[in-house]
Amino acid sequence: MGRTINVGFIGNPNCGKTTLFNAYTGANLKVANWPGVTVEKKEGRTTYEGEEYNLIDLPGIYSLSSYTMEEKVSRECVLSDEVDVIVDVADASSLERNLYLTLQLIELGKPVILALNMMDIVEERGMEIDLHRLPEMLGIPVIPVSARKKTGLSILMHAVAHHHSYGSQGPLIHHHHTGRSVRHKHNHHQEYAMVYQDSIEDKIDLLIERITSTYPDFTNKRWLAIKYLEKDSSVKDFWPMDISDILDRSYEKEIINQKYDFIEEIISETLVNKSTKEERTDRIDRYLTGKYTGLPIFLAIMALVFFLTFFVGDFLKGYFEIALEAFSELAAGAMAALHAGDMITSLVVDGIISGVGGILTFLPNIFILFLALAFLEDSGYMSRVAFVMDDIMSGLGLSGRAFIPLLLGFGCSVPAIMASRALEHRKDRMKTILITPFMSCSARLPIYVLFSSMFFGKYAMAVCYSMYLLGIAVAILTAFILSKIDGSKSEHALLIELPEYKTPNARTIAIYVWEKVKDYLTRAGTIIFLASVIMWILLNFGPTGYVTDISISFGSYIGKFIVPLFRPLGLGYWQIIVALIAGIAAKEVVVSSCGVLFGIQNIATAQGMGTALTALNSIGFGMANAYALMVFCLLYVPCTATIATIHREVGSRKTTALFVLFQLGTAWVVSFLFYQGLSLVL
Amino acid sequence: MVLKEGKNHHTYKVLSIHIEPQLERRLEALGLTEGSLIMILNNGKKGALTARFRGTRFALGKRIADNIEIGEVWTDGKND
Repeated sequence: MGRTINVGFIGNPNCGKTTLFNAYTGANLKVANWPGVTVEKKEGRTTYEGEEYNLIDLPGIYSLSSYTMEEKVSRECVLSDEVDVIVDVADASSLERNLYLTLQLIELGKPVILALNMMDIVEERGMEIDLHRLPEMLGIPVIPVSARKKTGLSILMHAVAHHHSYGSQGPLIHHHHTGRSVRHKHNHHQEYAMVYQDSIEDKIDLLIERITSTYPDFTNKRWLAIKYLEKDSSVKDFWPMDISDILDRSYEKEIINQKYDFIEEIISETLVNKSTKEERTDRIDRYLTGKYTGLPIFLAIMALVFFLTFFVGDFLKGYFEIALEAFSELAAGAMAALHAGDMITSLVVDGIISGVGGILTFLPNIFILFLALAFLEDSGYMSRVAFVMDDIMSGLGLSGRAFIPLLLGFGCSVPAIMASRALEHRKDRMKTILITPFMSCSARLPIYVLFSSMFFGKYAMAVCYSMYLLGIAVAILTAFILSKIDGSKSEHALLIELPEYKTPNARTIAIYVWEKVKDYLTRAGTIIFLASVIMWILLNFGPTGYVTDISISFGSYIGKFIVPLFRPLGLGYWQIIVALIAGIAAKEVVVSSCGVLFGIQNIATAQGMGTALTALNSIGFGMANAYALMVFCLLYVPCTATIATIHREVGSRKTTALFVLFQLGTAWVVSFLFYQGLSLVL
Repeated sequence: MVLKEGKNHHTYKVLSIHIEPQLERRLEALGLTEGSLIMILNNGKKGALTARFRGTRFALGKRIADNIEIGEVWTDGKND
């Protein structure tokens, strides 16, 4: 067995690259971030004919210039020793645009294999691609695959295995006739797929001469020369060279245009029966992006998502509760049988099982929410949302694209904040990061479900839904006020691909949802477990040692100290304050802490809720208080994981602290308004 | 005329792009080069519009749509 071969998977967004990557690696992924930036890096392993392959899933990009972080990361990775062979995944049904990246990759000089994905769609539309002529014109192997139907996978690996040893491309048998040039003196058509106009080729020759004397060891001098011609900023920084006598300006525009000229030539020679009829996607889009229908349909879809999350989720939650109750009885019985002391029994049953188990019962709700988000993402609808919302978002000084992080925020703030990277302007990004935590994440769901079921009976679902709307309203209002303050004309310009609609892929969805559920379970097992134990300690120990009356515990002293600050919000109860502080670890902890604080086992069950309601009523905590609490939980300091992500994205402790303080302040003000208002009405 | 003034389901030719160089390069990298064809799909709203070029649909914000100069295409007679 030889050494491991590193294969970089690269391609345009929405070309099915991740589906293809998953088809090889399954869920056995190593997900990390690229060093220094929060661009996701996925790696997985596969074997073919006894050789080990390390597959790297690079970010989806349209070109290899260095305008975005994704592009920079991909280019650096492909150029480095991290990648031996490049698999360029292209959507065969929109070959014209996908080939641009292909031409750039070929220019890099590493072995490239073109995987033509979605060939089934090409056939469906009655188009044909000349698979003999295409590799001839490009000078690289072209393998038709279908990631969804899993066809062509082994042939692709075969090509990778046999192509990686060719350091550079062999001579090409290709004669393309642009009609504009007489053969260049070096006749580069024998060596390179992409040959430019003579005036540019002359400059490339001059630059290569200069590079040869300045950087004699650089392997692909032609690529470097082209980058100089484009005045590529990172190339100029990495390999500085005085070329003022050769270049008077940037030739990037010509280089791009000529690449597309060549692509047009390729398309006209290899694509038969270019489809012209209105496709299914266009018919669907007439409604989903329609002037009058777009927004109502979006709102209806969101309502359906929440209906499924609450209604179906709650139905399944019932079974989880029965299991939890049985388990905690079993545990209590086992502890008694083992003659464990009161203290240990209390730690296990009241602390751990009640805390962690209380969170686990919400798994069905979380599962359904993420399933719905995965459907929206994988079907191609998400980018339509950006278009539909662009007019409204423009009014807030944001791009419609900023709505995608906000929508993802319903799932979890961490990936949502990371998704704000797609926004080009820093100001837009900062604004989006600031308001994303106001979108109600799934961890806050247990709080609403618990308190609304306890206090609002049959209106519980409406109360839950109102939290989501309030979150959106606060986010929008904040963005609006900020845009008035900085008075900025919106710099943004929406630019987003609207991919072909497709039936979501079961495997892609399964992997997506499993990752989120695993994350939730891991949190329940780590942060929430730890928080539950710490809570139990704080509540069962006081200045006098182990106490059974929590009102003289450390926790109660801390809570009581802050009570005056929270009295105007109707939250002046030390137990609630302790639960809120604990909730900074993770929002679900508010629920588990309430169980521990009020001494209720399995608070999320019907019986537990009854007991909790009695306990809360006895201290004067009513409907207005419950609503104020939910509002506060919606808006206050995001969880530790989110704060860490904000810090990483904004790169400044001061700004992070300001953001957190702003959110805390907003929570206080809005809860105050709601509590005072509701107290008058209820 | 500019792209924002175009009619639904009509194909136009891109004459020039007047926008900051970085965004212009990005549009060009996506295939929206001078002389390329662009078909407007949905230009009903006040701001952004959707269009297809080089075989792919895109949503383009108003600022982009207002700054792309386009012309009619007469050759293939498809504009009906």
